[in-house]
Amino acid sequence: MKRFLYRLALAAVALCVAACKGLPTSVPATFSELTDTAEIYPDYRDITIPPNIAPLNFMVYDAGAKAFVVEWTFVDKAGRKGASEDHATPATLVCGAADDGKIEMDTTAWRNLLTSARGKALRVCVYAERPNGWVRFAPFSVQVAEEEIDAYLSYRLIEPGYELYRQIGLYQRNVTNFDEAVIYENNRSFDNDNNHCVNCHNYQAYGTDRMLFHVRASHGGTIVTHGSEAHKIAIRHDSILGAGVYPSWHPTLPLVAFSTNKTGQVFHMLHPEKIEVLDEASDLLLYDAEANTVSNVIRTTDALETFPCWTPDGRRLYYCSADMPALPGEYSPEQLAIRYDSLLYNLYSMSFDPATRTFGEPRLEVDAASQHKSVSVPRVSPDGRYVLFTLGDYGQFHIWHKSADLWVKEVHGDGELSAEAVTAGLPESGAVQVATTDNRTASPADTGTNSAALPSPQFPQCRPLAEANAVNQPDSYHSWSSNGRWIAFASRRDDGSFSRAYISYFDRSGRAHRAFLLPQRDPEYNLLLLKSFNVPEMTRTPVQVSREQFEHVVLHTEAEVAKYK
Amino acid sequence: MKSKKTKRQPLPSFKGGADVLKTESPGRTVNPHWGLLFFFLMAWLWGAWWMGDVFCIAREWSFVAADATLMHWLWQQSFGLVWIIGRAVLTLYRWPLVGGLVLALLLTAASWLVGYCLRLRPTSRWHWLQYLPAAAWMTWVSWKGLNLYYLNEPGEATGVLVLGVLVCAIDAFIIWTFKSRQNRSAEAAPVVSWFRFAIGLTLLAVCFLLPVSITQWRHPYLRPLTRMQVQMLQEDWNGMAATAQAHGHLSYRPLAAYYAIALVHNGHLTDQLFDIRLDYDSLYVHSWDEGQDNGTNYYLIDCNYHAGLFRPAAHKAMEALTMNGPSVYVLKHLIRLALLDYDWDLARKYLFILGKTPFEGDFIRRYGAMLDNADAVEADPVFAALRKTEPVADSFEGMYQEPAFLGYTCVLTAGRSQEALMQSLMACLYSKRMPDFLMRCEPLVGSVPPRTIAEGLTTQAGKNPEVLKVFPQLQMNVQYYRGFLQTVKPYMNDRARAGIELFDQYRGYYPYYYFFGNLKATRKKADTVKASSNAGVN
Repeated sequence: MKRFLYRLALAAVALCVAACKGLPTSVPATFSELTDTAEIYPDYRDITIPPNIAPLNFMVYDAGAKAFVVEWTFVDKAGRKGASEDHATPATLVCGAADDGKIEMDTTAWRNLLTSARGKALRVCVYAERPNGWVRFAPFSVQVAEEEIDAYLSYRLIEPGYELYRQIGLYQRNVTNFDEAVIYENNRSFDNDNNHCVNCHNYQAYGTDRMLFHVRASHGGTIVTHGSEAHKIAIRHDSILGAGVYPSWHPTLPLVAFSTNKTGQVFHMLHPEKIEVLDEASDLLLYDAEANTVSNVIRTTDALETFPCWTPDGRRLYYCSADMPALPGEYSPEQLAIRYDSLLYNLYSMSFDPATRTFGEPRLEVDAASQHKSVSVPRVSPDGRYVLFTLGDYGQFHIWHKSADLWVKEVHGDGELSAEAVTAGLPESGAVQVATTDNRTASPADTGTNSAALPSPQFPQCRPLAEANAVNQPDSYHSWSSNGRWIAFASRRDDGSFSRAYISYFDRSGRAHRAFLLPQRDPEYNLLLLKSFNVPEMTRTPVQVSREQFEHVVLHTEAEVAKYK
Repeated sequence: MKSKKTKRQPLPSFKGGADVLKTESPGRTVNPHWGLLFFFLMAWLWGAWWMGDVFCIAREWSFVAADATLMHWLWQQSFGLVWIIGRAVLTLYRWPLVGGLVLALLLTAASWLVGYCLRLRPTSRWHWLQYLPAAAWMTWVSWKGLNLYYLNEPGEATGVLVLGVLVCAIDAFIIWTFKSRQNRSAEAAPVVSWFRFAIGLTLLAVCFLLPVSITQWRHPYLRPLTRMQVQMLQEDWNGMAATAQAHGHLSYRPLAAYYAIALVHNGHLTDQLFDIRLDYDSLYVHSWDEGQDNGTNYYLIDCNYHAGLFRPAAHKAMEALTMNGPSVYVLKHLIRLALLDYDWDLARKYLFILGKTPFEGDFIRRYGAMLDNADAVEADPVFAALRKTEPVADSFEGMYQEPAFLGYTCVLTAGRSQEALMQSLMACLYSKRMPDFLMRCEPLVGSVPPRTIAEGLTTQAGKNPEVLKVFPQLQMNVQYYRGFLQTVKPYMNDRARAGIELFDQYRGYYPYYYFFGNLKATRKKADTVKASSNAGVN
C-alpha cells in the first residue's frame, strides 16, 4: 500500500512538472521577422487602456507553433524603448504561453508596468516558436491613458434574447483585477414558486450609496438601497401605466425617473434582425425614494416616452419619445408589430426645478424621425458636455439592431452648441493619440465603423463615435465613468448574438478611441460564455449591500406599495 | 487506571440465515461468483442493446466539458459535481457497446460492493440480495422513461449510480482496512450447489424483467423513438420511417413528429404520412415543476428545422439552451442554423464550444468545413433539401398558430418549391383544415395529385362538386370512398374506440384519419392569429 501511494505521489509530481515545463520566460535570442501582426483574441491591437485596468490576457493563433512569448515594452514619444522614471519598476514585461497560445500575465507585474507607462505607449511584440525556429510578428501598440477608469463594472449575465430565463444574476466586476462578485442571483434550479428575473440595475451618481434593480415574476418589486440598507417597493396604481422599468437616479436628490412600459416582443421568420421588442405604450414617472411616492411625469396615449436620463446638475431630464404610428385598422399589438419599423424615437429634454419638483416643456434635442432614424438610451457625460445615445434605423431596443451605433450630441450649458463642437475630431494637446500599427492616425476605415466620425449634417451637433463602433453589429447600452473619460457599452460585434462588455476611451476633445473587450483572466472566457453581458454600469465603489441581504429582501419581504401623488 | 490489554479479535461477520448450519452437499457445485458474471452480461445487454439508443440520445441531450466556464452553471447547483460525473459517463454512449459496458461494470461493481459491505457471504441464500440496489436503479431508470433526460438532469441517473458505487467502495475499503490480515487471506473459494445457483440466476433474470417490462408497457414509445433519433443522426431517413411503421399502432406525438421528418426527406410525405396511428396517448412525462407535459418541446426544434423554418428552430433552440443549459443536441442545431444563416462567427463560436466535449470530431469536421463558405453550405444535401421549404417573405412567428411548423405551413401563401406546396397541403390535411387545403390545391389542377392528396380531395368532392370537375380522375376514388362511408357508418357514434378497431383495415387511408384519427385536432378551433408574446424581454 505504501509503495502504491509513493508511486501515486511520484506520478502526480511528474504530471505537475510536465504541466509546468515548456512555458518560455524570456525573449528568444534569435528569430526571424514577419511583416504581419499576430492574430490574437481578444483583439487588443491599437487600443487605449486605463492605467488601472486588469491584465490584457489574450490568445495568439498560430497553427503549428509550440510556444509563444509576448513582450510588453513602453516607448517614449520618439518610439524609443523607455525606462520608468524612478528606474525602479521594470520597463518590460515578458510572458510565455504553451501551444494553446494563452498569454496570462501576472497582475502585480502588469500593474507595475502600467504605472510606469501611464500616458505613454506600450509596444507589444509577439514571438512564436514554429517548427523551423522562432519568429516575431510585426509589433502593435497599446496606449495607456492618464485617466483611470472607475474600478467597478456591474452587469447582468443572461442568455441572449427570446422569452425565457433560468439562471440569471447581477454581477460586479473589479476591472482593475479579475474579481467578480455576485450582487444578486435568482434561484439556480427550476422552482415554479420562486422563478424570478432581475433587471435594470442603476446607481446614483456613479456611487453605490443609492441603487436599485427590479425583480420580475415571483417575489416581484423594485429593490431600492440606501447605504447598506435595502427594501422592496412596488409601483402600481390605477393612474399610472404600470411598474417602473428603465430608471435614472437623480444625481443628488432621492428621486428616480422611471419609464413605465408595456413591452412585447415578436420573432422574425426570415429577417436578419431576429427579434423586435416593441412598446405598445410607455410613459415617464417620478419616484421619491424617501417618501415612497410616485407621480406621472408624462402620460400620453399617442406618444411613447422612454429612457429617462438626468443631467449631472439634476436640472434637466433627457428622454426618448416616438409618435404612435398610424395603423391601418383598429389598434392592436399585432397591427403595431406589423409597423415595427415605423416606430421612430426622437431625443427630447425637459427642465426640472428641484425646489418645486416640476418639469418644464419638452424640447426636441435630436430629430431622428425626420431622417428615418431612431434614438435610444441617452446618457449625459459627467461634465454635462455630451449626450451619448444609440442611433439605429428604427425602434428603441437597439441591442438587437445591426444598424445601432453610439453617437454623441455635444451640448454646452443649457443645451447650446459649444465652441469645441466646431473643432470636434481634432485632438487636444496632451490627449492620447490613436496610432495604428503603421503609425497612421486611425480613420473610420481602419477601425471598421458604420459611419464617419465627423459631425453629421442630418443631425446638428451630433456625430457617431466612429472609432468605437462596430461594422454592422449592434452597439448599445452604454454608461460613462465618473471622470467622463471612459465609456462601457454592450456590443454584439464578436458573434452577432452574445453581447459583450466593451470599453472605449473618450478623450478631452470628445473623440472615442478603438474599443476593447473587458479583459478576463482566461482569454477564452468570452468564446465559451453562453450568456450576454447586459446593462454595463460603472461605479467608483462596490455595492454596499451583501448578496445575502438582497436574498432576504427579495425572497422574504413584501413590497411596500408606493403612494400615488 | 490501567486498562486491560486484550488481544484484537476479528470483527464478527453476518452469515445470513440458516447457511451457518448447513454444508453444501458433495454433489455438483459451482462458485457463486459466476452469478456476478451472469449479472454483468445481462446488465451489458440491457445497457447496450435494450436501453442503448435511450442512453445514446440522453448523451445528445447532455453536455460535459473539462472547462470551468462551460460547466459553471451546472457545477454551482446542488450535487453539481455528481451530475457532471454522470454526464461524463453518458459521453461513452457515443458507442453504445462501450457505454453499456461501463454501465454494466458499474452495476456489477455496485452489486459486489453491496454484498461485501453487508457481509452477504457468497454461500448465503441471501447473497442474491446484493443485486437488489442495481436492479432498483435499472427499474428507476426505466420508470423515468423520457424524463431520464427530457425536462430532467441527464446526468442524474448515471451520477447517482457512480455516487452509489463510490460510497460502497469507501465503505468496503474501511471494512477491509479494519479486517485482520488473517481474515483477509483465510477466505476459501466459496461453492454452492448447482440447484441453488440456478434458482439464484432465475431470480436475477426476473430482476431484469421488471425494468424491461416497465419500459415496454409504461413507455412503449421510448425505444422506437430513440431508435428513430439515432437513425436521424445517421441521416437514415428510410430507416426512421421503417421504425415508425413497424410501431404504427403506437400513437404518441414525438413518434409522429419524427416520422413526418423522415418522410420529408425520403420523399414519401404525400403517400405514407397516415400509415401510423395519430391519436396521441399520454407520454407519462413530467415537466420541470412535476406537472404533466405532452412532450411538445421534445421535437419542436427538429420539426421547425426540418420544415425549413430556421428562425423558429433557432428560437426554440435558444430557449432550450436557456432552460436546460447547453447540450450536444442543441449546440448541433445552433451550428447548423447559424451556417444556414451564413452567420459564420456565431457558428464558429458554437463549433468551438462543441469541440470542448469529447467524441464530436466527425460533426465538427463536417460542419467546420462550411465556415465562411456559402457554396459548401448550399451543396450539403440536407441543407439543400431544407432550403426548398424556407419561407419566401418575412413575417412574425406570433402571427401563426403554434407549433410554427404546422401553423405556418398550413397558411403559407408563397412557397419557393413544389416541396413547400406539398408540405403545406399535408399540414392542412393533418390539421383537417379543408378550406385551406382546397385553396392550396389550385396549382395541382391538370396534374395527377399524389395519393393522399387525392384522398383528401375525395373527402371534399361530396361537399364541393367543383372538385370532380377539375380533378376528373378522382371518380374511382369517390366510389371507394362511398364504400368506406357505408362500412364505417355504424362506428360514427364512438369514433375514439372505432379509430383503434378500424386502424388495421384502413391504415394509411386519409378518409379514415379524417373521421377517426387525431380527434383532438378535429375539435381544435383554427385560431390562426396569436397575440404577440408579452413574456419576459431579455
